Amino acid sequence: MSELEFKGYALTDPAAWNEFSLVSYPPKTFLADDVELAITHCGICGSDVHTLTQGWGGLSHLPLVVGHEIIGIVKRVGANVSEFKPGDRVGVGAQIASCMECKRCKSGNENYCMKMIDTYNDVYPDGVITQGGYSTAIRAHQQFVFHIPEAIASKDAATMLCAGLTVFSPLLRNDAGPGKKVGVIGIGGLGHYAVLFAKALGAEVYAFTHSPSKLDDAKKMGADHVISTHDDDFYKAYDGELDILISTIDVFRPDRPLKVYLSMLGVHGKFINVGLPDHNNPLPPMHAFDLQPNGAFIGGSHIGSKTECLEMLRVAAERGVKPWIEELPMSQAKVAIEAVRSGKVRYRYVLTQDIAPVQ
Amino acid sequence: MSPQVEFKGYALIDPSKWSDLKLVTFQPKNFQPEDVEIAITHCGVCGSDLHTLSQGWGEPKLPIVVGHEIIGKVTRVGDKVSGFKPGDRAGVGAQIGSCMKCRACKSDYENYCPSEIETYNGEYPDGIITQGGYSTAIRAHERFVFPIPDEIESAHAASMLCAGLTVFSPLKTYGAGPGKKVGIVGVGGLGHYAVLFAKAMGAEVYAFTHDTSKIEDIREMGAHHVIDVNIKDFAKPFSHTLDIILATRDSYEPDTPLSDYLSMLWVHGKFITVGIPNVNNPLPQLHPFAFAGNGCLVGGSHVGSKKECLEMLELARSKNVRPWIETLPMKQAKHALENLNANRVRYRYVLTQDIN
Repeated sequence: MSELEFKGYALTDPAAWNEFSLVSYPPKTFLADDVELAITHCGICGSDVHTLTQGWGGLSHLPLVVGHEIIGIVKRVGANVSEFKPGDRVGVGAQIASCMECKRCKSGNENYCMKMIDTYNDVYPDGVITQGGYSTAIRAHQQFVFHIPEAIASKDAATMLCAGLTVFSPLLRNDAGPGKKVGVIGIGGLGHYAVLFAKALGAEVYAFTHSPSKLDDAKKMGADHVISTHDDDFYKAYDGELDILISTIDVFRPDRPLKVYLSMLGVHGKFINVGLPDHNNPLPPMHAFDLQPNGAFIGGSHIGSKTECLEMLRVAAERGVKPWIEELPMSQAKVAIEAVRSGKVRYRYVLTQDIAPVQ
Repeated sequence: MSPQVEFKGYALIDPSKWSDLKLVTFQPKNFQPEDVEIAITHCGVCGSDLHTLSQGWGEPKLPIVVGHEIIGKVTRVGDKVSGFKPGDRAGVGAQIGSCMKCRACKSDYENYCPSEIETYNGEYPDGIITQGGYSTAIRAHERFVFPIPDEIESAHAASMLCAGLTVFSPLKTYGAGPGKKVGIVGVGGLGHYAVLFAKAMGAEVYAFTHDTSKIEDIREMGAHHVIDVNIKDFAKPFSHTLDIILATRDSYEPDTPLSDYLSMLWVHGKFITVGIPNVNNPLPQLHPFAFAGNGCLVGGSHVGSKKECLEMLELARSKNVRPWIETLPMKQAKHALENLNANRVRYRYVLTQDIN
């Protein structure tokens, strides 16, 4: 059997965040629970930008291959793996491992395991650095590998594995569905998925965006109401209206206090942040008074569990949920990632692997 | 008809002397068919009274009689009142009105009605200013009047009606009970009730305090764990442990380690603040990263519904929950307020009505 090579477009010089060089790197040490796949597609996530620009902190693992919205074909499975076999079309998302033993892991909350390992820029217990999907191949514990339904094309499935799941999990956990009013702030990669999935789940969707060009698109994505946040008073018409507000805001305006958003929630409504800004960009100010009128909550959410990922893919297949993507060959990652950073993508880039052919 | 009740109370007149209260006569609510009139015997002293009088929450309407932990005897009821008759012992808390028509009012969430009226420093639609319980009498819509169980004496019941209810509502709503781990931050008037009630509801209680002189008391109140937050890394041993944290702090420093408290929450655990600082005292700054590790939530809560109040009183009656109070005659309100301001009360003042 021919050995898969592990090669990817990596950051080598942190001063040049958008320059990639093709490198070989040691993969995860293959274990009995592992699945090895040859990568065909990888989506570009905001996480990739935050990591490469060091907005989330300095980089200590170089060279670094990013990318955690991965689709590929299974080439090899370990002795403990029965769910997958060579030839299967599968995906890997933003998490690559967890301890599998703690209370969280055992309750469908592996995305909150305190010993979780990120798909890239992290370290396995044996010292191997996790390298991401702008590459030819990856190995992952079977818990973090997902079958892709036939009805979903690879290029469409790729970005569901981080962007999709990251909004689907809180929508599901907070009962988005018929009779519920779901707001989405920020219509980008994550935000557009939130509109598509909230609609697929049967909720009434309110899309909030500061981009005039996105208002029409949000309607086409299925939003029942589209609201421009340009007007400083935009929130007043929606006082107490929403059950859930998913925020994908990546850069908070300090002149918009949180109560602007909280006021749009009904009793015990939830403002759930899925955007993770740079370290130096905290949440806008909030006073305890702001949480009183409706007993509302502000919270966060981190990716989702495997169970939720499979449910998301099932819903996507059944309801025909398709993301709005742009494709480029992986060797043009630079072009794509610059567009993501400047907010120009509509609405997610997917890179097609062009380093080594996948049989 | 019984002799007319007089409406007189200790009011703030001169905002530059926030704790000097003078006896005034004031205009009561215009009596409606749904109303209950009460001759007041006791009124608890709440942090809200302090924030209002000291103008930390803004300028109140003057003159203002504060106090919203009220117990007394029913003197008169309107034609539409079915739950009370003259002679009954009854109480009134921090809310005195709501619209009765909206979705919130119709689903036992009257404490979240957008048109809710506060027991003092609020205004009725006809323009009457609501005056509180450091006084001889009050009138309230039946929905905001609570029957007091015989077993609970008035001095004890008084402060249950704001402090008690304000913590009971979120404890109940968010499932405090057997198998649940409840953290309480700040053990003052509200906080001590939170310890007592969480314990009575069967939860495992973790009390956090900066005041080491309270540690013995807190153990006696029934807390399973008492943690001194002055200790470095106090939160580490409790990482991802608590289901609920009820925060009663009514002041924050910019460097108050709010994210350390959040780190103690289990997955989707809730940090609920019931303490309301002065208007110029926001919560410490938070980054979304603080929420990512456990998908936790930060929320608030506003008093409670009548339904919850009755449940709370029944819990207090059946599990023998009694607050730790100090009583003073109402004319000594100044002394009580100043001690409260200096955190010297153990753990709630109750004023006994001494005007008539």
